Amino acid sequence: MKLLLIEDDKTIADYVLAGLRQEGHVVDHMADGRDALSQAMASAYDVLIVDRMLPGLDGLSLVRALRAAKVMTPAIFLTALGGVDDRIEGLQAGGDDYLVKPFAFGELSARIGALGRRPVQQAEATVLTADDLRMDLIRRTVKRGDVEIDLLPREFALLELLLRRKGRVQTRTMLLESVWDISFDPQTNVVETHISRLRAKVDRPFERELIRTVRGAGYKIDG
Amino acid sequence: MAEGKGARPLELLKSTPVRQAVGVVSLMAVISVTTTAIAFLRVRDGLEETIQTSLDQSAASFSTARTAAELRDQVSAEARVADAEQRIIVLLSADGRSVGNAGARLDAGMPVIFAQPEDEQLSEHGYEFRVIADDRGTLILGETRESVNEVSRVFIAQAAFSLVPTLLLSLAAALVIAARSARRVVGIEGTLERLTAGDLKARVAEDPARTDDLARIAGGLDRMAAAQEASVAALKQVSADIAHDLKTPVQRIAVLMAELRNQTGEGSPEAALAERALAEADRAVAVFQSLLQIAQIEGGGPRGRFRPVDLSAVVATFADIYGPAVEDSGHSLAVDLPSGRPVHVRGDKDLLGQVVANLIENALRHTPNGSTIRLTLRQEGTSVVLSVADNGPGIPEAERALVLRRLYRRETSRTTEGNGLGLALVAAIADLHEARLQLSDNAPGLVVSLAFSTVAALPV
Repeated sequence: MKLLLIEDDKTIADYVLAGLRQEGHVVDHMADGRDALSQAMASAYDVLIVDRMLPGLDGLSLVRALRAAKVMTPAIFLTALGGVDDRIEGLQAGGDDYLVKPFAFGELSARIGALGRRPVQQAEATVLTADDLRMDLIRRTVKRGDVEIDLLPREFALLELLLRRKGRVQTRTMLLESVWDISFDPQTNVVETHISRLRAKVDRPFERELIRTVRGAGYKIDG
Repeated sequence: MAEGKGARPLELLKSTPVRQAVGVVSLMAVISVTTTAIAFLRVRDGLEETIQTSLDQSAASFSTARTAAELRDQVSAEARVADAEQRIIVLLSADGRSVGNAGARLDAGMPVIFAQPEDEQLSEHGYEFRVIADDRGTLILGETRESVNEVSRVFIAQAAFSLVPTLLLSLAAALVIAARSARRVVGIEGTLERLTAGDLKARVAEDPARTDDLARIAGGLDRMAAAQEASVAALKQVSADIAHDLKTPVQRIAVLMAELRNQTGEGSPEAALAERALAEADRAVAVFQSLLQIAQIEGGGPRGRFRPVDLSAVVATFADIYGPAVEDSGHSLAVDLPSGRPVHVRGDKDLLGQVVANLIENALRHTPNGSTIRLTLRQEGTSVVLSVADNGPGIPEAERALVLRRLYRRETSRTTEGNGLGLALVAAIADLHEARLQLSDNAPGLVVSLAFSTVAALPV
């Protein structure tokens, strides 16, 4: 993907740049808000990564200006502020996602992945598959090969989400947002226990493991 | 003037200026009516007295006649020149004959007069009579009551055409002025309500040309609101600056540690150290984040986002999220919700969720394996009580208020995880929602309960 990173802190910018380039993205970097605005208007990007506190022009105003100019490139805010108000402010300004500092690189990478490929969601699909696993969304059944797997409604929802976003990492916070519609990360690792219950049914009795843990990031089912 | 909220007529009657106006006009009416009545009575008494004096004088003038014949001559002479409409002079002689300017007879001692001759004009106002009966005959003297009746008519007319319209006009004027004041009071009230609801931009914004007491109160309120808005904005700015200045270096530490971990290779002792340093940085951020959040909540800002929230759904969601984690830690989770019925309170869904999460985490952390955590939602009249109970060691009564303080940690829990902010955050969120927070004994264990007032339906 072609990304634009707008971040004035050099240490953080270098780290994010190195990480994203290592993942195969083409990344431009700007440290000043005003320069970034003209850059984002001039070239086409897949995702913008915008720090909220910037010299020249703050991140909120930058995204607001872009939206006013009908530049709808998905934007993810990086911010030191973590209040509910701040998150809502960011989304109202036209941001698509919001990441509070300090963040793990895996979280940023997963969220960029989710934003950049947003349009290709097969909402109309009635059967989701991965390897020998088949999920029938109408009959609400899951099978691996010929073996029927009995899932609780919540486990079904979790597996459905991982299948719909096959090949992309889903972080704990992304799963909490999508499956339970909550926007904070509890101290106890609640998602891990849900995943391990799901694995006990979907993976453990079988030879090949489908749900993979991505270190420092989250979970994914390979596409 | 803030016109947002129209004053209903019935509500206007409850307002102080309108009630005062009605009071003043009523008092004015009573005074006017009383003085007019007194003046009327005095004028009427004067006129009555004049009538009596005039009767006295005529009676005296007839007392000089010594015989019946003399009197008859005097009466017929006087009657010829007297206008019967003004004055009646009649003499009834002992032989039944009468002379005078009208016909008369006595009915049970009271004189009754009639026109004689028939085309004679009598006063329509009636007469005041004097009857003098002696051996000369019965002399009947009458004076018209016209003047008395006339003065009554004048006073009634004055009341009808002057007093009543004056009072009605004053009442109307007073009501208009009072209603205007009352509307200004309603404007001030509305602004206060919006301010308490978290709308820090609310102002009365009266016409600056006004200088009366209401304008001064409105001005004072506006200045106070502006000061509050400025201090909240300053707090926000300071929080933002601190957040930025603290978190950027922490983010750099995290970045450097991650690089260190990558360079030393997985599984090495150095990588493990880097992992631990990262975890500590995360803890520092979590503490800071919680403090920042408590400060923001205490500022009251989130109130502006309040919506009806189904508390039952919030509890169910968190019971679902925590279910497996609670079981894995050797505890058990029991949920007791009103059957399939939404329970709406006005609030912020995320913050209410955080209350449930923090209370579950708190119970998990401070109770031994095998303990039960019970989430209950119970309707009590117009309020709904959310409670999280455990059967662990509980908290002694003396310490219950202390655990709601920021960073307070009980001696017995120094070694457990947690930062001493979970319950403080619950207390701040409860306060924001005007919910009554109570810690009590579950014998054994602890019950934390929050009583919210419910909202009827879901208007959104």
